[in-house]
Amino acid sequence: MNPILEAHGLGRTLPGERPVVLVHDVELTIERGCFTTIVGPSGCGKSSLLYLLGMLDRPTAGSLLFEGRDMSGLSGDVLAQTRLARLGFVFQFHFLLPEFSALENVMIPMRRLGRLAPDEVRARGFALLAEMGLESKELKTPDKLSGGERQRVAIARALANDPALVLGDEPTGNLDSVSSARVVETLRRLAHEEGRAVVCVTHDLDIAALSDVRVEMLDGRVEKVTDQRAGR
Amino acid sequence: MNLRGISFLVSIAVRHLARRKRQTAVAVSGVAVGVGFFLAVSAMMIGSQNDFVEQLIEAAPHVIISDELRSPSPQPGTRRFGEGAVDLRGYKVRTEVRGIKGWQGIVEAANAVPGALASPSLTGGVTLRLGGHEEALAIVGVDPEVETKISTIEDQLRVGRLRDLETVQGGIIIGEELAARLGVKMGDIVAASTSSSKARSMRIVGLFRKGQAMISSNSGYVLLREAQSLLGRPFIINRIGIHLDDPYAAQEVAARLEQRFGYKAESWQERSSEFLSLLVTRNVIMYSVVSAILLVASFGIYTVVSTSVSDKRRDIAILRSIGFSERDLQLIFVLEGIMLAAIGVIFGWMLGYVLMEILASLRFPIAGEDESVPLDRSTRQYVIAAASSFIAGSVAAWLPARKAARVDPVDILRGAA
Repeated sequence: MNPILEAHGLGRTLPGERPVVLVHDVELTIERGCFTTIVGPSGCGKSSLLYLLGMLDRPTAGSLLFEGRDMSGLSGDVLAQTRLARLGFVFQFHFLLPEFSALENVMIPMRRLGRLAPDEVRARGFALLAEMGLESKELKTPDKLSGGERQRVAIARALANDPALVLGDEPTGNLDSVSSARVVETLRRLAHEEGRAVVCVTHDLDIAALSDVRVEMLDGRVEKVTDQRAGR
Repeated sequence: MNLRGISFLVSIAVRHLARRKRQTAVAVSGVAVGVGFFLAVSAMMIGSQNDFVEQLIEAAPHVIISDELRSPSPQPGTRRFGEGAVDLRGYKVRTEVRGIKGWQGIVEAANAVPGALASPSLTGGVTLRLGGHEEALAIVGVDPEVETKISTIEDQLRVGRLRDLETVQGGIIIGEELAARLGVKMGDIVAASTSSSKARSMRIVGLFRKGQAMISSNSGYVLLREAQSLLGRPFIINRIGIHLDDPYAAQEVAARLEQRFGYKAESWQERSSEFLSLLVTRNVIMYSVVSAILLVASFGIYTVVSTSVSDKRRDIAILRSIGFSERDLQLIFVLEGIMLAAIGVIFGWMLGYVLMEILASLRFPIAGEDESVPLDRSTRQYVIAAASSFIAGSVAAWLPARKAARVDPVDILRGAA
């Protein structure tokens, strides 16, 4: 076991007159080099759990350890900085900034982090897009790209700051089968070859079948965790 | 955040503004018009004010010591029994010769003040007579050499020079209007008399320009010696005018001299306090109008930034998920407002400059003279205009920018999925 993220009794309840429980008492460990999928029916809390794991949302119960550090109670700025430097998000819709070219979109996280010099940022942007098979599409704005291409730009952007944890919210949900297969292959490679932890919410059981660990959710709870790697 | 990070936030703000060109143009022109008119109006207001104050300052000596006391000197009895109730009856006051006693000492003390020059003079009333025509005249006896250094009288002369008083026996300088009333011109001789002396012939050696508010049309200049003998007050002076290199030190210098010598010493500020308070009111009016213009301009900025925030809620959520903090997002939108203000300020400066050029080229005939609008074109006004626009722009942008910071990325992401 090589855990990067540990959730203990993690819960999220929307406050109000009739509180809505989104996520309840989740015990979960995410490993490095492992492709994890979260599956379950619509509204079971998959995405809510993903946002909690990605520190976009704050839990109302339990604790979250990222790289051994308890993230609950840290300031919004610290969480933002952690997301920027260590996490990468891919969403169902590409979520690229429409005013920026593909290359510029990929450069956004690097430029915000400010660790690399401008020419290094540019070079890495080109390299990431090339890795995603998007040579010659670098200067196109999102509206000039196909759905699959946009999603690959989004993945390149998620990888910009070399994250330890990549989170996907139905990353193939809006793609045709060929593009979808390509994206899944990329995500598996990120886990197996580059040693990153990859967590994806999906309703596509074929993708879940290809993952290393499958987490099944129902009504905000984790029902079952299946390790699908051979020999375990 | 480092410099690279900030410059990146700036570039995002630029993209947002570039996307909505028309709104940006409207907001920018709002600021530009505000700044431009502020510059033009304040240049006129301050210019005319400076012109006016300069006239106030330079019309007469900066400090005037006269042979008056602000309060009569106490009776010996009250001085002796300071604490007691003193009842004085049937006392007689000795008639004293008016004039400043020991004026040589005061002139010396005044000249000892750095940058100060004192000129003693004697004023008194005479009657000018020509044929059957009589005109009352307040004559000022001066030492022309010193007086030219402390006042702008020389500039007010239409013809002649103050120094001519020294070379012409019985020379006198009077106003154009008075000369016209008497029907005399340069070089003519008039008779001057006082109640206590017999008539004496005076020759006109200079004429003041008419319409000089600060010099009464019924005053004339003669040599100090001439005035003393004409008024029958040899060796006496009743006025000391002091010129200061720094006119704004007048109040302090006047207070010091008055305290030391007891004679009333009036600074130009004291003499023209009503005018000065009028100027304060003018300034208050000007700055309120200008604030109103800038306030309207900032509404434009508010609108642009506010719509930008609502249009970009999705982008805000994306940037938050990437790892931009609430503060980053707020800063992006505040920067948009500051940029709108900055572009507006640049155009406003240009507009203001053009307006001032136009104003400067205008000529108005006033009292027969071709006058131009007095303009104050100092950089101070440019700086004030820019600073207030930036403040107005930042505040106007900051209000909607807080909304951007409060956007919950999860709401947006969940809604889109």
